[in-house]
Amino acid sequence: MNQPFLKITLGVYVGLFLAYLYGPFLVMGIISFQQGPEGGPQFPIIEWSTFWYQHVLGFAPPTRVAPLPIGEALTRSLTLAFATMVVSTVLGTMTAQAFRTNFKGSGFVFYLVVLGMMVPGVLLGLGMSLVANQLGIDRTWWGTAFVLHVVYTFPFAFLVMLAIFNRFDGRVEEASLALGVTPARTFRKITFPIIFPGVLSAMLFAFTLSYDEFPRTLFTGGPDVTMPIAIYGTFSVEIHPNLFAFGVLTTLFSFALLTVYGLLMTASVRRAQARNSGMQEDIE
Amino acid sequence: MSTETIQSNPGFFTRNKHYWLLVPGVVWMTLFLVVPLGMMVYVSFWTQTTFAISNDLTLKSWQTFFASETYFGALIRTIRIWLTVLFLTILIGYPAALFIGQMVRNKTTQTILLVACVIPFWTSFLIRVLAWRPMLGKEGAINILLQKLGLIDAPIEVLLFTELAVIIGMVQIYVVFMVGPIAFMLARIDQSLIEAARDLGASGWTIFRKIILPLSLPGVVVGAIFVSVMVLGEFATSSALSGRKVNLLGNIIVTQVGSLKWAFAAVIGVVLTAVMALVVTILLRIVDLRKEL
Amino acid sequence: MIELSALSKSFGDAVALRDVSLTIEDDEYLTLLGPSGSGKSTLLRLIAGLDKPDAGSILVNGQNTIGLPPHQRGLGIVQQNYALFPHMTVQQNVEFGLRWREENPVRDEKELARRVGAMLELVGLNGFENRGVGQISGGQKQRVSLARTLVTEPKVCLLDEPLGALDANLRERMTLELRRIRDTLGVTFMHVTGNEDEALAMGDRMIVLDQGHVVMIAPPDAIYNLPCSMRVAQVLNAYNILGGQSRDNGFEHGGKLLPLPEGASEAAHYAIRYDAAKIVPQDDPSALLQVTFLTSEFTGGGVTYFMRGPDGVFEVERHLSRADPEVYTSGQALAVTWDAKDALVYDAQGVLIGHSEMRGAA
Repeated sequence: MNQPFLKITLGVYVGLFLAYLYGPFLVMGIISFQQGPEGGPQFPIIEWSTFWYQHVLGFAPPTRVAPLPIGEALTRSLTLAFATMVVSTVLGTMTAQAFRTNFKGSGFVFYLVVLGMMVPGVLLGLGMSLVANQLGIDRTWWGTAFVLHVVYTFPFAFLVMLAIFNRFDGRVEEASLALGVTPARTFRKITFPIIFPGVLSAMLFAFTLSYDEFPRTLFTGGPDVTMPIAIYGTFSVEIHPNLFAFGVLTTLFSFALLTVYGLLMTASVRRAQARNSGMQEDIE
Repeated sequence: MSTETIQSNPGFFTRNKHYWLLVPGVVWMTLFLVVPLGMMVYVSFWTQTTFAISNDLTLKSWQTFFASETYFGALIRTIRIWLTVLFLTILIGYPAALFIGQMVRNKTTQTILLVACVIPFWTSFLIRVLAWRPMLGKEGAINILLQKLGLIDAPIEVLLFTELAVIIGMVQIYVVFMVGPIAFMLARIDQSLIEAARDLGASGWTIFRKIILPLSLPGVVVGAIFVSVMVLGEFATSSALSGRKVNLLGNIIVTQVGSLKWAFAAVIGVVLTAVMALVVTILLRIVDLRKEL
Repeated sequence: MIELSALSKSFGDAVALRDVSLTIEDDEYLTLLGPSGSGKSTLLRLIAGLDKPDAGSILVNGQNTIGLPPHQRGLGIVQQNYALFPHMTVQQNVEFGLRWREENPVRDEKELARRVGAMLELVGLNGFENRGVGQISGGQKQRVSLARTLVTEPKVCLLDEPLGALDANLRERMTLELRRIRDTLGVTFMHVTGNEDEALAMGDRMIVLDQGHVVMIAPPDAIYNLPCSMRVAQVLNAYNILGGQSRDNGFEHGGKLLPLPEGASEAAHYAIRYDAAKIVPQDDPSALLQVTFLTSEFTGGGVTYFMRGPDGVFEVERHLSRADPEVYTSGQALAVTWDAKDALVYDAQGVLIGHSEMRGAA
């Protein structure tokens, strides 16, 4: 399938495809520089200004446009995402470790876990609200919403770790055991360092999913909102370019985070490579 | 010297040590996934009056749902939009995945392209949905561009606040979930298979049909599951881009919950679950996911 | 001393080991020869505790080890792929067991360095302490794996195909090295291999395993000279085994009557070792079987001739220390002959029944 004509056509197609993906993003970026505070979130650009960025960051003079509740909601989202990341990665790793041996009922457990990512958020949110009502539990972001976040991200972490363990050569663990090292210490000193990049990916995945999670949190988050809920709150009311300014800022921030992650990964991979260039020969 | 075949009993914990690893995950999912869903089914049979709800079981809410034009219509509309978006994401996403997974040989370029597809995700989902409004409106970016290029005289009105807008928005947001898994499966195809086929005289189209397509199928299925889960549960995009004209089942659940009509919301929830379950079961029959890992 | 009694292990329907019993003595070099599928790796894993037997027992110095986890058995295992820890240096690999084991860990840095250094010197790798695992060759990896196990002073060291991945040159050197190391340390080595030359060369005692069953235990020369069953003879890859039956005072094969050794009767198989046969012209009076020449293989120290006999290939080995190699043309009609004393006969069950002398037996 390397006919040049096909390649060029598809290449152009992908170019258009990326334009489709990025279109709104660009528009959002442009409008974020809309004049404020009268300018609305649509074309034409009345005047270019950084007003809305100042507004988002809290520097602008007060207007009738309510500022986005960044401080609290953002902190809550980050905390929630962090907690979700830790819990779901631990659960995912433990469960994937159990799957390294065949056991009865493994199919059942597999689908039970994966179910968590196959149920639309709306339904889980609804179900959880009902349960909370019934049991008289308050809905809180650190309680009812948190458990649903983990339900959502745990399957992803599980699948990542499952794939990592599939490629993991268990014989180094056996070597360690045969040397007289306990299973617990073998895991700490041998297994974990080797699977760590996978764990890192699972953590990143879980954090990202939780940070932007919306439908489940909507129903179960309670009065203290997370970032996405705060944004949803502006849906029914008028929207203003400050939202877009905020979007650009968060995107840049995520970009920075991911670059750091990428650099860390490359550095650790390069260090590992320097120490053991060339994989162990496969002798079968 | 003893030659008995004694199997000493190392104790309950050691023998089943293995299972203890599973307990937390299974317990968590049972408590916080199975129970809420079960609750939803249960509540759908509760008696709902305008102001109160009691747990006397009745089929009334169910009857209301299926009898009502509005609600049943919403079901049809949801399914219709879901199928359209699914079809479009496959149609639009597959060629892109084909390019990234098969045509681009350089691993770095491949990664860059994939990352390029993922970058939009770093903007909050809701903001991305809202960003479509200034794109699609009468004075939106698309209309301005098309008019500037002289392709149209008057702005296209049907782009925003219609079902079309919802579909355009959803496809853009979810197509990446289709491209990712497909590109992943395509990249895993051993090049030597294709070379061997070509050596044996197979045409490009045959190679595609008999080798590439079947091997990429698990990716299509995974992508289909992701897209379906998200689209069927959608309400934000439809709300933002259709000006409340397009009511999906998700929207109705939200409004019903807003007016505390729990039983009815539960009914819709169960209907949605049933549709979801049906879809996933059918898709999983096509491909056994456990093997693919 | 390790005693295995009636060990059996199956994986689903496939039987890996059947009723295996043997004793592993202290301070010996024991080799185990088994073709692929014989269950040799399974046996090692059972002894090390990495798998559980379905039946049978393993006693280590009188202590029953069933249910004992591998890290409490005090045995060492060198795996086929060496299983070096990829994220550690040679030094860290070798000291790992000493430093982190549950029983008697060594924590004194000087002591660790001293013992690791001594062991690396013993295996011929001094100076390699700080190399990464990916920066050393296959032979070096094997020696690191060996050092890592031996430094913990196990009672018995199990080696799974240790020479399998090495080139011929290295293999020969390591053969000597392994013996030297073992003799120095006085540890028992149980060396498992599918290579018959290796098994014969290394061991004080040799076990032949076939299809999960122990078929012979004896010193290597006894096994080589007098395989007690047809199966052993086949595994040794050194015998021509001819089918037929005994008649009158001979063995009928391919229309010819072959001379039987004394005391043999009711034989179903007739074995003659490759190097016991000789090629003679077709009309030579001593000719026993008519053959045609197929091809020959030069093996450095000798030549192996492949002849086509009445029911298959007949191999003849000649060592070049005795004479210059003969050259034959493909399809040339020749004959082979041998001394009747050198023939071994087996009954229909494959059991050895007749031979002239007990040569080389313990």
